[in-house]
Amino acid sequence: MTTLPGRPISAPADAPACVTCGDVAVAATVAAVPAAGTAVVERGGAREEVATELVGAVAPGDVLLCHAGVALERLRGAEAGA
Amino acid sequence: MRFVDEYRDPALARRVAEELAALAAGRERMRVMEVCGGHTHTIYRHGIEDLLPENVELVHGPGCPVCVIPMGRVDDAIAIAERPGVTFTTFGDMLRVPGGRGTLLEAQARGADVRVVYSPLDALRIARETPEREVVFFGIGFETTAPSTALTLLRARAEGIENFSVFCNHVLVNPAIRAILESPDERIDGFIGPGHVSTVIGTRCYAFVAAEFGRPLVVSGFEPLDVLESLLMVVRQLADGRTEIENQYTRVVRPEGNERALAAIAETMTERETFEWRGLGWIERSALGLSPAFARFDAELRFPLRGDRVEDPKACQCGEVLRGAIKPWECKVFGTACTPERPIGTCMVSSEGACAAYYNYGRVARRRAPAPA
Repeated sequence: MTTLPGRPISAPADAPACVTCGDVAVAATVAAVPAAGTAVVERGGAREEVATELVGAVAPGDVLLCHAGVALERLRGAEAGA
Repeated sequence: MRFVDEYRDPALARRVAEELAALAAGRERMRVMEVCGGHTHTIYRHGIEDLLPENVELVHGPGCPVCVIPMGRVDDAIAIAERPGVTFTTFGDMLRVPGGRGTLLEAQARGADVRVVYSPLDALRIARETPEREVVFFGIGFETTAPSTALTLLRARAEGIENFSVFCNHVLVNPAIRAILESPDERIDGFIGPGHVSTVIGTRCYAFVAAEFGRPLVVSGFEPLDVLESLLMVVRQLADGRTEIENQYTRVVRPEGNERALAAIAETMTERETFEWRGLGWIERSALGLSPAFARFDAELRFPLRGDRVEDPKACQCGEVLRGAIKPWECKVFGTACTPERPIGTCMVSSEGACAAYYNYGRVARRRAPAPA
C-alpha cells in the first residue's frame, strides 16, 4: 500500500497489509474523550481520533477495535482488563 | 503488546499444530477456505502452512475487497476523478488497480486531483475545508468498512455538507460465500469465517453455510494462533462429523453483531439487485448502493457514468484464484508477466491479494509441484 507520512493507528507500520480496505481492524486504548462521539485512542505511543457513535459512550481505558477512523466494537471480558 | 503477544506464542502454536496433526491423521484431504484477505496475509506472514499436515489444505477466498472490484468500476472511478472540479478520495490500495483505461495513479499523474485517505471521515473533512470542490469518496470494502462510510454519510447530512458524495462499491460477504458454494468447481470442506466483518454482521447470519450446504464455518481472529485454533476447530468438526457455525473470536465478535453499525448501514444504504464481482461474475443482492434517502450524496447520480463492462485480460486468472479453483502460482502469468510492481490482475495489486501474499513471502518454489487432484 502507499506509505504516507503520519500513518494512522489503523495502518500500523508493522502491518504491511492494506488495513484500510481489508477486513482488518486494530485494538487501541481510549486515552481521552474530547467530545461526545469522538475518542482519542492510543496504540504503541501513537494517537488518533476515532468516531465512537457505533460503540456508544466510551471512557479512558476502554479498548476499542478501530477501522478506517471509526470504532467498530469494544473488546470485552478478562482480556480487555488484562 | 496486549492482544498481540499472547496470540503469537510459538510453543503454544506448536502444541495446537500437533493437536491438529493428530486429528487429521489418516483422514481424507481437507480443503479449508479462509474467506478473508486479512487471514490470507496472516497465513503467509507467519508461515502457518508450514505447520499443517499434508492433508489439510488452505484455499484462499474472495475476501480482498480490492481484488473483487471489476475493471469497469475502476474506469467509472477514473472518469469521476478526471472531471473538472472533482477531488477524488480513495484508500491507497485502489490507486494501482488497473481498469480498462489505466489506474487512478495514472489519472493523478495526468492532473486529476486524487488523494489517499485512511477514513471516509477524512474525505468529509476535505469537503468541509474546500467547499468549492466536489469531493467524492470511493467506498470500497466489505461490512467492516461499510459502517465508516455510513457514519460519514450521516454526519454529512447532519452538517448539511452538499459538496460530498460517495461512489459506493461496498460488497457483502455472505452472497460471495454462497456463490462459491454454488459454483461448479467448488471443492471446499469448511470455512474460516471473516473476523472483523463478523464484528458488524455477527455470526448467526452464517447459519446457511451449515444448514443448506453442510459445511462448518469458524469465525476467526487475525493473529497466527487465532487462525491455527480456528483451523483446529474446523478440522475437529469434520472429524466429528459435525457442521456448525462456531466463533473463535469471542473477544470481539458477538452473535448479533454490532446493531448500531447495522442500523447506520440500513439507514444510508440499500442492497443492489445485482453487482459484478471480479472472478465470481454477477451475484444477486451482493452489494450496497446508497439508499433513496441519501440519493443526493450518491456519486452515481451526481455524475453521469458510462458503466461499461470491461473484460479481464485474457492471461489473467484472478477469477479462478478468487474462487479457490487454482492456487496463485498455477496462474499462467504469476511472477512473470504479473508481479506486484507491474500487476495485471487485482490479486497481485493489493497486499491482501492471494497472489501478492504468495509472491511477497516467497511461497513459490517449494510449492511448485501440482496439487493432488
